[in-house]
Amino acid sequence: MSDLSPDAGRPGVIHDLGYRHFDGAREGTPAIARTLFVTGLRHAYGLGRSGKSKVMPFVLLAMSLLPATIVVGVVVLTGLGELPVSYADYTNQTQLLVSLFAAAQAPVLFSRDLRHRSIVLYLARPLPAPLFAVVRWASLTLAIFLFTAIPTVVLFAGAMLAGLDKSDQTTAVLKAVVLQALLALMLAGVSGLISSVSLRRGFAVVGSVMALIVLTGIVTVLQNIAYYEGDSETVPVALGLFSPWSLVNGLANAWDAGVDTPVPVDGAWVPAYAIVAVLLVAACLLGLVARFRKVGSR
Amino acid sequence: MGLAPVISTAGLTKHYGTVHALTDLTVEVGDGVTGLVGANGAGKSTLIKVLLGLLEPTGGHASVLGHDIEHEGQEIRRLVGYMPEHDCLPPDVSASDFVVHMARMSGLGASAARERAADVLRHVGLDEERYRPMGGYSTGMKQRAKLAQALAHDPRLVFLDEPTNGLDPAARTDMLNLVRRIGTEFGIAALVTSHLLGELEQVSDHVIVLDGGHLLRSSATGDFLQRTGGLLVEVVGTETERDRLGEALAQRGLTCRPRGTMVAIDPPPPELAEGGAVHDLIRDVAADLGLGLMRLQPDRRHLEDVFLEGGTRV
Repeated sequence: MSDLSPDAGRPGVIHDLGYRHFDGAREGTPAIARTLFVTGLRHAYGLGRSGKSKVMPFVLLAMSLLPATIVVGVVVLTGLGELPVSYADYTNQTQLLVSLFAAAQAPVLFSRDLRHRSIVLYLARPLPAPLFAVVRWASLTLAIFLFTAIPTVVLFAGAMLAGLDKSDQTTAVLKAVVLQALLALMLAGVSGLISSVSLRRGFAVVGSVMALIVLTGIVTVLQNIAYYEGDSETVPVALGLFSPWSLVNGLANAWDAGVDTPVPVDGAWVPAYAIVAVLLVAACLLGLVARFRKVGSR
Repeated sequence: MGLAPVISTAGLTKHYGTVHALTDLTVEVGDGVTGLVGANGAGKSTLIKVLLGLLEPTGGHASVLGHDIEHEGQEIRRLVGYMPEHDCLPPDVSASDFVVHMARMSGLGASAARERAADVLRHVGLDEERYRPMGGYSTGMKQRAKLAQALAHDPRLVFLDEPTNGLDPAARTDMLNLVRRIGTEFGIAALVTSHLLGELEQVSDHVIVLDGGHLLRSSATGDFLQRTGGLLVEVVGTETERDRLGEALAQRGLTCRPRGTMVAIDPPPPELAEGGAVHDLIRDVAADLGLGLMRLQPDRRHLEDVFLEGGTRV
């Protein structure tokens, strides 16, 4: 292999130490799960991966930050009395970018290991398959949450710079953050589940786009048709149960977080929206766990 | 560790519906390199997956490094390394990054993982190419990277599923030497599967033969290769010379048959076997015929013979 003569004692010679055993401390399952979580979060933004894979997440992030910086500039320079768009509504307005981010990055965390079958190497290690699925989902959830929270932080900083009422703004921001967390849980579940089933990246992206963007569009259109054509308010509100975005927007509307829906969500619809959202998250998570458990026993 | 078996199974059975992948397997595996031989579908990979705790056995028990497979799978997976048969490397990551990550997934800290990965990649013989994405690797390099990730966390036992699969003869020899070193120099017990019996003759201390999920035989490699008591003789020349020698030896009371360019002699009668009398006889016969003696060696059995015998028995 090497053409260096193994002369001992000569300066600059690399000595073969032979095989060395590792007798240091080994981490337990929680530490391994934490490592996987952090790695997954970094990979969702292309960090620690090829340069090409950083383009998509950061271009999307920049696009969703651009309007926020413009809004901040306008508010600070013109001294408006309030933000032209509420924090929660900003996320809603940029929903196309958020959905695209989830659709594009979920395959990174959920398809790659299954497609290249490196999942086998993970499962031959201490982390059990269900925990692996949950950790991956947690990574994607935080990645999506950060994607929506960063523009919110920029808007909030702008509002503070412009000297808007601190307590009002803080309340609105906290509401938006809670809604964004719920949204991230749902989007990560839906896009993750789709990516773990359709292993070709293209199919996974298209599937997530269908579920997150097209479905939301259809729900919104139907809600509006039902609102203008029908005479009951029940149908448009009920339709809102069928997409993650309309669920979050309905809850934001009910919570007075500054998001308009075709029909106000109130009364018994509020707990119904909350329950459906929680059930959706739980169902996706159970689906992911079942999927990885099945892969693990192959 | 000492005498405690590395792996022991008792009546281990795994059925997939009507397919019987493993049937009532009772076997013990000790330190060193153990070969697990069988045709495709003999149950080798299934056995490994059951031992890793990834598949639940239909019946029976097994323990790996003193841990029960049904209840302590996690503990087992902490102590063993696994090199799967099929491709399992993401193409867009370098071997260096990948092995570090896999070491961390086995519970090594960040700096320990980096150090171990560098060490192990050196041992398996991946040099500068370790920094390139693995998608561009040759089969030989991929096999080395797969082996490196199995060794990254310094396991006490490695399962190597067909490590020589798809390698050319030179790379095959390299890989077998590496397997031999893992068992001896590295001091890591290894269970190596192969469908090529000849390979395991060279590297393993012990061989387990599976056929259709049944245990055919389990014993030390030396026992498989025991001397038959027969001899092989080769003389200079062509088949004509070979046959002349064979006929002459047959006249002296030996049972001979041609094998390739050689004459195979069945175990001689007792009066000739004493004190090398048969060797003298062969020498004298060759000298009388004026034939140049090229080779005279004991006839050993091969693993293949054992396999064929077993196959007809079952």
